[in-house]
Amino acid sequence: MESLDDVIDAMIADRVIHRHRRKWLIAIAAVLVLALVIFVTGGWKEKKGRKVDTLKAPVTLTAGRYEFGFTSAEIIRTPKTTYDPAKSRLVVSFDLKNVDTEKHETQSLSGDLLQLVPGHGADLIDSNGATCRDQLNYKLVYGLPAVPCTAEFKVPNDFKESVVEIGVLGEKWESDNALLGLSDKPYWHNEEATAVVQLETTIKTEKKDK
Amino acid sequence: MKLYRPATVLVGVLFVLLGGLTRLVDTDQVYEDSTRVTAHGTIGQKIQYGDSAVTVTRMRFAKTFLADENDDKPIETDGIFVAVEYEAYRGTKDPGSNDVTLTADDGNIYESVAENASSGITFPQPGFTESGAFVFEVNTNDLKGLTFKLRTSQFFTGVPARDIAVDLAVPSDEVAKQLVDKAADQYVMPERSTRVDS
Repeated sequence: MESLDDVIDAMIADRVIHRHRRKWLIAIAAVLVLALVIFVTGGWKEKKGRKVDTLKAPVTLTAGRYEFGFTSAEIIRTPKTTYDPAKSRLVVSFDLKNVDTEKHETQSLSGDLLQLVPGHGADLIDSNGATCRDQLNYKLVYGLPAVPCTAEFKVPNDFKESVVEIGVLGEKWESDNALLGLSDKPYWHNEEATAVVQLETTIKTEKKDK
Repeated sequence: MKLYRPATVLVGVLFVLLGGLTRLVDTDQVYEDSTRVTAHGTIGQKIQYGDSAVTVTRMRFAKTFLADENDDKPIETDGIFVAVEYEAYRGTKDPGSNDVTLTADDGNIYESVAENASSGITFPQPGFTESGAFVFEVNTNDLKGLTFKLRTSQFFTGVPARDIAVDLAVPSDEVAKQLVDKAADQYVMPERSTRVDS
């Protein structure tokens, strides 16, 4: 036989649970939503390193509206002359093809689509664009075969990495957000890292001009 | 205080619907709208462009080209070069600036490739005529329906922007093939010259 005290206790406990039930439900729902958000955004684990593939040259890859076929890299040192200080530059050779299947438009490669990754937390270095057939910012025609090109990066004079890493960015064929009242026609923009290519370097010293 | 009364919600829904309706009315062509007028023409025809005018005088196919006659290194291609020579007559009104492209039936858009050439026709002073040329690098497999297009890039709002489309007379792939086969070995870009309008 339970006592009257026990019955009263049970009644009070029942009341208390009922009074706070909604708060508990909300709290549980909040925890569930939080868990879902964390799951969707990629979990607790910190992402380390890069999120794109690292490839070794020679390699062919497509990024945005261009197809790159990386071949070699060369560090070229220019000794100081009477009027110019010593300089170093990194020249990367690749075959470049226009694969703009959306617009079929003649276009020259924009310099910021190739970036040197110096490592050690240093800032990325933009290329100067593609030089093909001795013309800087050569215009590539859609439908024609790949053209051998070079891109230059200005590097410090003591730069002597035996393997350099070049970040390749690709534009995306998409429209701006129409909900913001912008045109919903797609166009090439929003470049995003596509891959990192590792190339072995050779060092060459340019002769002084006479 | 009651935040979400049915009337409030209804007004919100109404606004969303109104927004959708205005988008329907607006059509999907926001930039290329009825304020652009395109004048069509053929080679040799003087096409009015406001109170100015443009004539495409000649079209040539070439395997290589020289940016000017003192150049010693011809520029080469895996495709073919199409040179378009024009004359631009300037009226009294400022024709603004423009961009030129070649388009083909397959949807390819070719741009002028000569390094020192501008991307559009520059009009001379009023009463003068300027002649010049553009060189386009073109894919030999995509030449059908080659059209020279001039698009006004700077104009005053409210005034219709005038565009020009000149048919370069490549009606079929066979004609294109013949033109490519007979292409000149080299094309020398003529210097731009200005003379008094006759």
